[in-house]
Amino acid sequence: MAHENAAELEEHHGAGRYLAVWAALCVLTVGTFLASRLSLGPPWHLLVALLIAGAKASLVALFFMHLWDQPGVNRLVFLTSLVFVALLIGLVLLDNATRFPLANPPNERTLRFQAPGGAEPHVRPGERQQGEPGAIGRPASER
Amino acid sequence: MPELTARAAPPLAHHFVTMRQQTEAARLGMWLFLVSEVLLFTGLFTAYSVYRFLYAGVFEEASRHGVELWAGTTNTFVLITSSLTVALAFHFARLGRGRLAAALLVVSLLLGFVFLGIKAVEYTNHFHEGQLPGKYYTFAEVQGPGASMFFTLYFIMTGLHGAHVVVGMTVLAVMAVRAWREEFGPEHYAPIEIAGLYWHLVDLIWIFLYPLLYLI
Repeated sequence: MAHENAAELEEHHGAGRYLAVWAALCVLTVGTFLASRLSLGPPWHLLVALLIAGAKASLVALFFMHLWDQPGVNRLVFLTSLVFVALLIGLVLLDNATRFPLANPPNERTLRFQAPGGAEPHVRPGERQQGEPGAIGRPASER
Repeated sequence: MPELTARAAPPLAHHFVTMRQQTEAARLGMWLFLVSEVLLFTGLFTAYSVYRFLYAGVFEEASRHGVELWAGTTNTFVLITSSLTVALAFHFARLGRGRLAAALLVVSLLLGFVFLGIKAVEYTNHFHEGQLPGKYYTFAEVQGPGASMFFTLYFIMTGLHGAHVVVGMTVLAVMAVRAWREEFGPEHYAPIEIAGLYWHLVDLIWIFLYPLLYLI
């Protein structure tokens, strides 16, 4: 009885499909390698790379990990995790992207910050302890 | 375990009604574990996103001058191929061809060793070039804030992934022995399927690590 259930309710595909998926994964790997050599420039180089990686990951999850053949709760579990992946990465990045720039750790952009025209009208004489403009975040030895 | 008894009575735990039910429960349990693995790596991918957002230019330079493209690309093909052999091993184990399945798993294991070998060559180069995290960073070609952070993330992400490769290889080795003893068949195949799921997840994570670390 158990044998009949297992045999009838679940499709079992041939080895050919695995080989086809493998070939597709190889083609996509070559594709992402070539795309990276094109220097598409931001943000396209990242978007294209992630799109191809997403396609490869879908192939692996659907066919090597059998989500295509096995309906039900496993798909739901995996997709739910992807929602949380998107939430975590998306919201954290949104936070960084929308901060007042100097609230981020010192980086390429904020290290070169200067007040317009070099003047700092909001700083009263003697108030600034940090040294000259552009010194923010640099170690004291370099100033 | 003698072949005949293993084949005649697949191990059905008393709290399950059918083998199918047992297999599905095992599968769901594995997927829940895999999801926790996904979220573990998501923490690292989040850290990567933040620092790449902050240090976009330096990350690009560090990736271009600091990591070897040939190694990452070769390892991608190695892992994809090992995933294929694991999937085929499951396929043949289910058809009752245990010996062939075991051989395919051994091929996967060898590919795992190739992956780790290439990774070891890369790590050796990073150590010689001073491409190391934090204060140990002495790589002159790429300087500036964030340069050492790229290698901190590189080592944590590939290191954790490498640890998963080692665990996966151990599991595959056990499965190869069990397949060689003809323990699996059309009804009893859950262990080898679940081991395969783990290996495919390792592949899945590398699929994202490759463009993010090597192809910036």
